[in-house]
Amino acid sequence: MSVMALLRPTAISNVSEDQFVVVHPLDDVREDKVDTASLGRMSMTPSVKMSLMALRGYLVLMMLLVLYHVIDLSGALGQSTH
Amino acid sequence: MQEKAIVAIGSADVRMPAVRGRLVRSKWARNLLTFLVVFGPGLIVMEADNDAGAVSTYVQAGAQYGTRLLWLLLLLLPVTYFIQEMVVRLGIATGKGHATMIYQRFGKWWGLFSLIDLQVVNFLTLVTEFAAIALALGHMNIAPKVGVPVAAVGLMFMVLTGSYRRWERVTVFLCLLDTAWLFIAFKLRPATWGGAVHDMFVAGLPTGGVTTGLVFLMVAIVGTTIAPWQLFFQQSCVADKRLRFADLKWSRLDTFLGAVFTIVVAGCMMVAGNAAKVHGLAFSDPAQLAHDLQPFAGEAVRSGLLLLMINAAVLGTTAISLSSAWAYGEVRGWPHSLEMPVRKAKGFYATYVVCVALAAAIVLIPGAPLQLIIIGVQVLAGIMLPSAIIFLQLLLNDKQVLGDEYVNKPWNNWVNWTIIIVLFILSLILAAQVVAPNLFPAT
Repeated sequence: MSVMALLRPTAISNVSEDQFVVVHPLDDVREDKVDTASLGRMSMTPSVKMSLMALRGYLVLMMLLVLYHVIDLSGALGQSTH
Repeated sequence: MQEKAIVAIGSADVRMPAVRGRLVRSKWARNLLTFLVVFGPGLIVMEADNDAGAVSTYVQAGAQYGTRLLWLLLLLLPVTYFIQEMVVRLGIATGKGHATMIYQRFGKWWGLFSLIDLQVVNFLTLVTEFAAIALALGHMNIAPKVGVPVAAVGLMFMVLTGSYRRWERVTVFLCLLDTAWLFIAFKLRPATWGGAVHDMFVAGLPTGGVTTGLVFLMVAIVGTTIAPWQLFFQQSCVADKRLRFADLKWSRLDTFLGAVFTIVVAGCMMVAGNAAKVHGLAFSDPAQLAHDLQPFAGEAVRSGLLLLMINAAVLGTTAISLSSAWAYGEVRGWPHSLEMPVRKAKGFYATYVVCVALAAAIVLIPGAPLQLIIIGVQVLAGIMLPSAIIFLQLLLNDKQVLGDEYVNKPWNNWVNWTIIIVLFILSLILAAQVVAPNLFPAT
């Protein structure tokens, strides 16, 4: 039996004591998940605040470096280092 | 739900509401079959990361330093697994994609930042995928003007069938085709396998020590092995496949096996590059390497390398375009599932089609600035990766979302913060190299 045949689902309505049913997630009843929409924004604990501040600092630094590189390549800073 | 469905039923035959599934008689068969139905997202997200850019990076690493950097790949195995395992947990617990989670938990500003950055990096990466397809086709005497549009149309048909399972099976098959890299590595074997095994398990620097080239290459290897789109892709994929809480352990196994397979394939790519070093071949891209290796390794290796390069680009394209389409669909509130027919999820499929078609079209423009695009990908991916992982780490510590069971354990946090700090340092080294190119000796 091929793997595809093994995975092909059939309709099952009764199961004997020595049997197990394996259901593909897409054929299964939808599972209840966490309702994240009703939770709103994450609470700003000190660690979350610090992480986001570090991230902002990192992004500003990277943007400045990219900007410097672009200006340098354009020759506006004199002879380019490249 | 599966936990209810996969049970041994009492002492007699039990009638139950009809479900579509498979009946098996042993726990062993149940576990194997459950793994097989869950299997897919982990392998795909990992192997699709061995895309055209990765082939180029790993082959170049092999050509410059032989097998001396294999240890770095081994080191990256647990790193990629830990990051993607967090994504799996978040996807299964919420049933939502990564873009949605950032929007809902961090607000519109961070949500837009992540989405725009993802879309830009993904699009530029797609252009490099099609550039690789065009290069490989050129070496196979197929005009890119014909081959690239055909590849683009094929990539569209892969997802437009309205069946997640069909897309997944085709993509898993393409992933498994990469086992041919083992054959390539065997044919182009290094001087001694013992030396390669030594290089894999004993970390060391190549002859010449720390140079600009080595630092760039090591950062490129890390950046190639862990990419921002992977976080968005796997979480959306897990959500689209509707994986259940009971599937978590099998999804972890899928992700782990995917990581192992990907690292093995990446190692084979380094071994292929090593052949260029051994034969003293200078090449500008893997397609040219395939061509130059023919006199030493034969036609099978040449054709194999070219086809594998196309396969890598196709895999990368479908996964990256889908991560864009899922993320955009989630944020816009559009229906966004591969299980939906095109007429019911027009925006989602249109995003995918536009990404693929535009990237293919750019490659066909004569004189397109491909080199600038490749540099743009590196810079933007470098900026995005640490930020994407910080959001992931914060979300995985969010007890409101994950509860006590799925939230990160203290050891998870130690491992993850260590990974984040290392990634930040690598990004800063890359940035410092851009500003001060003479930071490390050139040779």
